[in-house]
Amino acid sequence: MSEFAGCPGSKMFDFRAKEETQEETQTVDVKSQLRQWPIQLHLISPQAPYYQGADVLLAADCVAYALGNFHTDYLKGKSIAIACPKLDEGQDTYVEKIKSWLEDAKINTLTVLIMQVPCCMGLLNLAKQAAQASERKVPIKCVVVSLQGEILSENWV
Amino acid sequence: MLDEYMNKGIKDVITKFPAVADVLEQYNIGCALCTEGSCLLKDIVDVHNLSQEDEQTLMAQIAAVIDPGRQVEMPAARRSPQAKPKDMQYSPPLRQLVDEHVLIKRWLALIPKFVESLDVESEEGGKLILAAVDFIRSYADKYHHAKEEEILFKYFDEDSDILRTMRADHEKARSHVRAVLEALERRDRDAIAEHLNAYGELLAGHILKEDEILYRWMDRNLSVTQVGELFSKFAEAEGKMDKDVIDRCKKFVVKLEEEIQEPGKKVTK
Repeated sequence: MSEFAGCPGSKMFDFRAKEETQEETQTVDVKSQLRQWPIQLHLISPQAPYYQGADVLLAADCVAYALGNFHTDYLKGKSIAIACPKLDEGQDTYVEKIKSWLEDAKINTLTVLIMQVPCCMGLLNLAKQAAQASERKVPIKCVVVSLQGEILSENWV
Repeated sequence: MLDEYMNKGIKDVITKFPAVADVLEQYNIGCALCTEGSCLLKDIVDVHNLSQEDEQTLMAQIAAVIDPGRQVEMPAARRSPQAKPKDMQYSPPLRQLVDEHVLIKRWLALIPKFVESLDVESEEGGKLILAAVDFIRSYADKYHHAKEEEILFKYFDEDSDILRTMRADHEKARSHVRAVLEALERRDRDAIAEHLNAYGELLAGHILKEDEILYRWMDRNLSVTQVGELFSKFAEAEGKMDKDVIDRCKKFVVKLEEEIQEPGKKVTK
């Protein structure tokens, strides 16, 4: 099979060789930390009460599947929206909604949680565009997650 | 014996065992130069965020100095459970404080030349000294130190040794400024020079401690929510400041730099 030459975000990997240990596969009742609905960025209202003054998590669609401790380590205590910067249409609306979080909902912080694949950086760019257009600024943090759920970087933008 | 010293101030430990300073120096921990040195030995590892390996080696070396030739049980150093990676950038509010240090450091760099040309006899010379005091009081103290004392420090244990040290530095700086004004009334040029130089040395060390140690330690221990709160409170505090005062302070440093680079050019307030 020839070397993959397409989009890195679509490149195939098989992680089955890294079998989980017995301990890791024990069933644990992990409580959901989701405290709102809807969550898709096209569906949410940026002025919903749970965004007012909140620490907001803007997560790429794939993150919650890759990151084992997504609920406890990142979602807990935050309000959320999810989006895919590669496949979603109407991303101008996304910029407007993020801007509305900053200006209208007066959110406290914005954490952008993305995968390591290059296309995911588009979500951070949407957040940066919104922040540049907004008169009100808030701290923005970017967390990059590897395909197997490791935190590769965690930086303030 | 080592356990006993874990709860003592680092200055006392170094006084009794000077070789401990050399051990700390190997890890770029400059406690021997600290003006207060009241941080407890057990807190040093947490404050400086050493790796587990460095922490163990450091403590073993200190144990060898304090209890030479004896097998000692290694006391656990205190480490914040939520400690984050060492290479993390400053959070936006702490980055703001680091950026404010830049203008203060530019002024500190000018002090040696400034005191060389002190003129306490003329009205113009007196005004220039007052302009320097205005910069220290308005920018370094009211604008910058106030954000630390009235906002940032409230997020931590204000009785902790490290914060007491920082406050003590601020107070010492204020006392030097008061002494400068008193000396100006007496037209005592030497006393003005002495206190401005002392202020410069104090602040240079203070800023280094904050940039390299304190702020990084604080960032490792602040939650995302607290970072957002600090950012908003700093913005609110800045909104209450007179922007003309900040501009005046910035112009003072720029003009003084020009004067020192071009000695013929006079600086006025």
